[in-house]
Amino acid sequence: MLRLTGDPGEKVFLNQVIERSGQNLLECLQCGKCTGGCPVASKEVFGPRRLIASILAGCKDEALGDPTWLYCVSCGTCATRCPVEINVYRVATVLCEIAEREKVVPPEPGIHLFEKLFLKSVQRHGRASELKVVMGYNLRTMNPFSDMSQGIKLMRKGIISPMDLLRGGKKDETASRIFTRVDQVENERVEK
Amino acid sequence: MRVGYYPGCSLEKTGKPYDLSARAVCRGLDVELCEVPGWICCGSSPALKMSRLLSLSLAAKNLLLAEKDGIEDVVVPCPFCFRRLLSAQQEIRDDRPAGIRAEQVIEARMRGDVRVRSLLDFMHGAVGLRSIEERIRKPLSGLKAVSFYGCYIVKPSQVIRPDNPEDPTSMDEVLSALGAEVLDWDFKTECCGASLSISKKEKVLELSGRIVKEALFRGADAIVVACQLCQSNLDIRQGEIWKREGRKEGIPVLYFTQLMGLSFGLPASELGLKGLIVDPIPLLRQKGLAP
Repeated sequence: MLRLTGDPGEKVFLNQVIERSGQNLLECLQCGKCTGGCPVASKEVFGPRRLIASILAGCKDEALGDPTWLYCVSCGTCATRCPVEINVYRVATVLCEIAEREKVVPPEPGIHLFEKLFLKSVQRHGRASELKVVMGYNLRTMNPFSDMSQGIKLMRKGIISPMDLLRGGKKDETASRIFTRVDQVENERVEK
Repeated sequence: MRVGYYPGCSLEKTGKPYDLSARAVCRGLDVELCEVPGWICCGSSPALKMSRLLSLSLAAKNLLLAEKDGIEDVVVPCPFCFRRLLSAQQEIRDDRPAGIRAEQVIEARMRGDVRVRSLLDFMHGAVGLRSIEERIRKPLSGLKAVSFYGCYIVKPSQVIRPDNPEDPTSMDEVLSALGAEVLDWDFKTECCGASLSISKKEKVLELSGRIVKEALFRGADAIVVACQLCQSNLDIRQGEIWKREGRKEGIPVLYFTQLMGLSFGLPASELGLKGLIVDPIPLLRQKGLAP
């Protein structure tokens, strides 16, 4: 059972999540419809209801250590069914941003690595190259032959080409400019 | 009719059959698709998870490119791109502090008046069932289909505002218009596991496994989708799913655009049917829909 201790830090974290996500967690009824419909909730992944309870109780470490927000696929089922319309994927983004800024080790490093590699590909080329992201991920997780048979099937069907891997891919200035500007605008915001 | 088209990254790679069939069907309906010039990735689920500003800005940039090109309606086949563009437009309008930051990033102001539509909604709502029916050369009679919408095209209801987020009917109506027998089922908007396919394959095998098993249990010949991510999870992962069950089965997972194309009598080669892993050709032959 989570209990508030009266530490002022508890409120800082709660307010930060509410303000940045635009989701009024104080209205949460803890009814559990979100977790009931959540596709990723399981014995190990506790689901939105408990994640919100942790945030409401100001338990920052517990919230950041809950794999729910990394597993979240933003399906939107929780928001659709929530009686007070809380959208948990908006909360997941805020937790990810806080964890990133404070260098908290992600509770699910695999998911986090995949997402980072994907964005790197977008930053460099403007469009994501699925094949390269998957290969990069498999190499880094020491699993180079994972999904090899699926890859070969797709190549036989002419859907992906081995040339995609060999080709360097065009550099794209539009996307990389956006990544640079995001850092600049975020830094200006922190300085203010 | 002339509309903007934002295919998204996947449709250039694993989702190629979706892109091919969407373009072929639009040609058949005299809809001219004008690709948004110089479009970039919408950031997909990784940007949505990792940085709100990045996610908003990538979507904003694409909307801006469409605005500058004079596009009034942008049609988006990928449900994730569709929802991201639509949601970003709403967020930039309704949450001005965040909207201003996104505009600072892209170094331009948005008009915010491009109408973002999913391809499914465009076919159902703008082209309309009557125009679709007029093009039919080969009705899909005898084909038992279940329609699978997935998540992003209907949820969350606050962003998409669908008629019914739990029991949508637009694809059912399109397929019925094509002459298919559309079966009722409870899995229309279940989650296939989406982007966890590589990093948490187990989860995808579990979620997609439930969907394909239910479709067979209902007696469907095929699962029909409007999303390349659903398609790839339900199709590519089937081999592993059935292997675990010790069964040798398979159910084709087709795009609704491929079925539209078949019923319009378009050649199979234009519809990317060979790009699917569970081969739909034997089924289509059996129903007299493919040579």
